[in-house]
Amino acid sequence: MAATEDRRGGSALLAAALALPGILPATAHAQTAPDQGVFAFRYFDYRDWQPEAERMTVRGPSLYVLAPLSDSLSFESSLVYDAMSGASPLYYNTLSGASGLGITDYRTAVDAKLTKYYDRFAIGVSAANSSERDYLSRALSMDVRTWTADKNRTFAFGVGAAKDSINPVNGSVEGKRRETYEYLFGVTQVLNAGAIVQSNLTYSDGRGYYDDPYKSFDRRPSTRRVWAWLTRYNQHVPRFDATLRFAYRYLHDSWSADSHLLEVEWAQPLPQQFTLTPTLRYITQDHAYFYHDPPLGSGFRIGQPYTADPRLSAFGGITASLRLARQLAGGWSADLAASIYRQRSSWRLGGDGSPGLLEFSARWVELGVQKTF
Amino acid sequence: MRRRDTLVLIALALACGGCASFDPPQPWEKGDLAKPDMQFDPDPLAAKAKQHIYQSKEGAGGGYGVGGGGCGCN
Repeated sequence: MAATEDRRGGSALLAAALALPGILPATAHAQTAPDQGVFAFRYFDYRDWQPEAERMTVRGPSLYVLAPLSDSLSFESSLVYDAMSGASPLYYNTLSGASGLGITDYRTAVDAKLTKYYDRFAIGVSAANSSERDYLSRALSMDVRTWTADKNRTFAFGVGAAKDSINPVNGSVEGKRRETYEYLFGVTQVLNAGAIVQSNLTYSDGRGYYDDPYKSFDRRPSTRRVWAWLTRYNQHVPRFDATLRFAYRYLHDSWSADSHLLEVEWAQPLPQQFTLTPTLRYITQDHAYFYHDPPLGSGFRIGQPYTADPRLSAFGGITASLRLARQLAGGWSADLAASIYRQRSSWRLGGDGSPGLLEFSARWVELGVQKTF
Repeated sequence: MRRRDTLVLIALALACGGCASFDPPQPWEKGDLAKPDMQFDPDPLAAKAKQHIYQSKEGAGGGYGVGGGGCGCN
């Protein structure tokens, strides 16, 4: 993101500014309403493939606005449009497009959030809607954050509900539904003048239709419960005026597709208001208990859950990203980011990755422009 | 996932959290904490896009918040 003008001497100015309400942007640990608005535009270009076969392409713009409505009330909203085309696996690495019938779809997602700030707590209420040709999801959520008098510790509580409706274009099923309830408890602690840590525990309880109607023999359990424990740690490094960001997530899934995720970022301010941020991410995942190795149909039992979806196999995945951002005059900033992602069975921690699957790769490029007002 | 691997990774995460000294700052000492790079999600759109990609290509997602809703990608 944006480079700061501050090197050494700017700290005092920022420290003084902190005494003013709204200096912090509306992030997970903001404790006062923003006093500046933000408008952001982003364009996204995504492509994935397996050896000798292209898979999906996704392109689309997105918009974000943050507007302070009063000294204690803010409004946020985002709009995302994705145009998708290509082929996805019917089972293992056999693609839907192999028959000449590729996939074309779009996704329009919009969300809005109101946050009211009080002296020692803030309440946020949000709504989200995501629609595709064959899928509609509507969600509501509420979060409450409360902090200590010195604002060094914040507790967060969240609850959300989503109702999804599934109507696949192949007509295999009609009017299927799914409901998901989510709960969050989080703590954010300022450790010292240059370090902050956040730990969130979320629980997701879903019921309804989980089968993938476009995949062969796919039959999944009608409930899914997921625990996710995410801990993030940001450390300012004065010697380089840089920031080290670290994240770890442990995910426990009632389908047994448990995973560990590690992510490390280094945000390095450069001359001319540039910031360069390289990121490395690693995930290692177990297979779902009803995922069966090839050939298709092996292990299938009538009335029992079964999938040949490679996303529910055991694998390791690595992402390398690079983001270059520049702060411009008049409250403008821009950034360009590129990421490459690869999944391999053999990269699973401790071995035992699912056999018989091809390597999966993806790359995406993003261009963003932001204006504060 | 083997239990041993799980315990090692959790221990590593806790150890990294314990690397920093615990000395909560006074308000006038929070200049570095206010920098955009020190925020957990400095760019909401980039964070949304990233989570959407991984949710659609991996077994499960979550941990970053509540109420985002689902999609037909998974």
